[in-house]
Amino acid sequence: MTRKLLGLIVIASLAISMMLAGCSSSKSSDKNKVERPMDELVLAFGAEPATGFDPTTGWGRYGSPLFQSTLLKRDDELNIVNDLATGYEVSEDGKVWTVSIRDDVKFSDGEPLTAKDVKFTFETAAGSGSVVDLNVLDKVEAVNETTVIFTLKEVQSTFVNNLVATGIVPEHAYSGDYAENPVGSGPYQLVQWDKGQQMIVKSNPEYYDKKPFFNKITFVFLNEDAAFAAAQAGTVDLAYIPAAFSNKKVPGMKMEAIKTVDNRGIVFPFVKSGNVTDDGLPIGNDVTADPAIRHAIDIAVDRQALIDGVLEGHGTPAYTSVDGLPWWNPETVIEDGDMDGARKLLEEAGWKDADGDGILEKGSLKAEFSLYYLANDEVRQSLAIAVADMMKPLGINIKVEGGSWDVIGKKMHSEAVLMGWGSHDPHELYNIYSSDNAGVEYNNTGYYKNDKVDAYFEKALRAGSEEEAIEYWKKAQWDGTTGLSGKGDAAWTWLVNIDHLYLVKDGLDIGEQRIHVHGHGWPATDNIVDWKWSK
Amino acid sequence: MIPNLKTDQKLKRFYMNRRQKTLLTIVVAAIILLCVVVGGALLDQDQIATNLTERNLAPSLQHLFGTDWLGRDMFNRTIMGLSLSMGVGLIGAIGSTSIALILGMAAATMGKMADRLISWLIDLFLSVPHLVTLILIAFTLGGGFKGIVIGLAVTHWPSLARVIRAEVMQIRSAEYVQISRQMGKSRWWIATHHIFPHLIPQLLIGFMLMFPHVILHEAAVTFLGLGLSPHEPAIGIILSESMKYLSSGMWWLAFFPGLCLLMIVRMFETVGGNLRLLIDPVRANEK
Repeated sequence: MTRKLLGLIVIASLAISMMLAGCSSSKSSDKNKVERPMDELVLAFGAEPATGFDPTTGWGRYGSPLFQSTLLKRDDELNIVNDLATGYEVSEDGKVWTVSIRDDVKFSDGEPLTAKDVKFTFETAAGSGSVVDLNVLDKVEAVNETTVIFTLKEVQSTFVNNLVATGIVPEHAYSGDYAENPVGSGPYQLVQWDKGQQMIVKSNPEYYDKKPFFNKITFVFLNEDAAFAAAQAGTVDLAYIPAAFSNKKVPGMKMEAIKTVDNRGIVFPFVKSGNVTDDGLPIGNDVTADPAIRHAIDIAVDRQALIDGVLEGHGTPAYTSVDGLPWWNPETVIEDGDMDGARKLLEEAGWKDADGDGILEKGSLKAEFSLYYLANDEVRQSLAIAVADMMKPLGINIKVEGGSWDVIGKKMHSEAVLMGWGSHDPHELYNIYSSDNAGVEYNNTGYYKNDKVDAYFEKALRAGSEEEAIEYWKKAQWDGTTGLSGKGDAAWTWLVNIDHLYLVKDGLDIGEQRIHVHGHGWPATDNIVDWKWSK
Repeated sequence: MIPNLKTDQKLKRFYMNRRQKTLLTIVVAAIILLCVVVGGALLDQDQIATNLTERNLAPSLQHLFGTDWLGRDMFNRTIMGLSLSMGVGLIGAIGSTSIALILGMAAATMGKMADRLISWLIDLFLSVPHLVTLILIAFTLGGGFKGIVIGLAVTHWPSLARVIRAEVMQIRSAEYVQISRQMGKSRWWIATHHIFPHLIPQLLIGFMLMFPHVILHEAAVTFLGLGLSPHEPAIGIILSESMKYLSSGMWWLAFFPGLCLLMIVRMFETVGGNLRLLIDPVRANEK
């Protein structure tokens, strides 16, 4: 009896789901548009930051800190400009940064923002042990109300990004639950936060810079399907959507595809197997340690096919982790989809299919390895499967395996992993490619090491300013003879930069969006004060 | 006058009794089972390779069940998924039946303590919905094929074990068994020569009814994303990933695999149910 019931339920649910599917696609309604005052906005995003809204533990690194403001910020061309600061000076030896700040800034609770708050913020962040990396910071001093001096242990040109990314928190209003009750000097202040559901913010009357157009913004946290459904129902003004939905028109909304450095690539174990980490996890893989294999994969991958096939055309080919950013070296672009070239490379390196099973061998070594991807991420899954299938004709057998981060964490030093990065901070390049970071968390999981690249990193970090450093960042990627990119060591095979897709209500102007960083949603808020209705 | 007669004849011509119907279902089920098993054995990963130029195609003669968002042929994926599901179902059902047989016999023959203990165990397992126990066990074993098979095998035995226990108790008290014992036959001899042959029909029916149940639970567990990697062609995984595309109007992703699963489950259930009625001496002659 119960089995019959079960069968019935299955049929019924199938039928209902199909009917629903039919409904939603056939008559997307424009009748149930919700009338809302002009200065209010509803945005549908994937999720709120799990750790809350405390900049000292990482909030605001991707996208606008919203409630707080930072000493410096990046403009639409990614140049660094003043925000809270009125200027900064770096000493001759590059170790002492003197930042002067505005004297007219107040927190949303009316208290003035002084150098003491800046000192407090950076000291708290340095001691938080979170993703905020302030190891290089020796001490912070507040000289007077408007001057802060940062003393570094060693010169680091990328230190300026900490001034760009870290929102200043008020010392007087900072307590254990600050992450849930943020007070700051940013354009908005928090009204209500229902975890996992929605967050309501209103504009901060004390904000010192250009007043935002919208006085009240509601962020609703929905999964991809629900966000799309909400957009169809006309209840949200902006919704993030996955590429799978990009072909469907929603009346009254237009789709914006924003270029990103939200990249996906395959990181290969760079060294031969044999060693283990301190935790006993195996390091290295004999197959991927062979440069011929890595190069063959790098030039055989048809990046445009991946973009058209997996991302519905909404993406750009990736050749490094920093494509399109000021410190990207455009010489790293290669001709891809070159199967013959890849075959030749493999043949020259001594790989051939001796036993006729379609998989190459070199001595007793078979050209096969596993490729791990995050199991609940469909784009990563699709990319992994597609790449593995692309490599089959070459004779490289990539076994695709899905897993959670826990599983991947155990395998990532000895098998290839599909990962993603993307940041406005050049320091990330150092994080994922320098030998100092080999095996540190998810950085440089393949134990990549090239002394020349490390030397360039050293020079880039020790450079006096970001502009000076750019030359060395570029050389680390490819200096004409070696480098970390596909032309050089090909420690990673970068695949695609994923365009971030948003459905935006007609007439809503979301300004000039910068190249987005990793993460779909919050980076769009980077310029939220510029958003307005254009009609 | 004549129309009445005619319909009667028509009815008679297509009328089959339960035995015939059961036989027919068994034949059809066997053919499908054979197709899926042979198909599953013939197909390998190459047949479900991605083809980025043939994505999201509706069913056609070339792709009977259409293609998915990576251009994989859904017919091949469905067959592979079904053969995986049936393989898992078969191993799981055999495992469960064996456990049921051993525990049922033990409860009925090994004295009061064993009986009490095993009955308690049966009650314990029956008191929790076995999808929950299944998820728990599969999860603790670290998921994967092994986790699911073991999980299925150790969760589906209780009701059959109870039936077997009752059956054994009944047979044990039958006169010919008593006489056999008094004539000095060993316990083992009685168990294998008197009791076991009488259990075979019950076991067979128990197995036939358990098999579709196990398949359905395998699909449920993989649907929930436990165990197998999401790129493996298990029927539950295929169904769960198709959910995302239903709203884009790609009905064939869910419809055909779902229908196939439903058909197979229903078919084996019908066979099992009919066999049970046929073997039941009280109801065997019902029409």
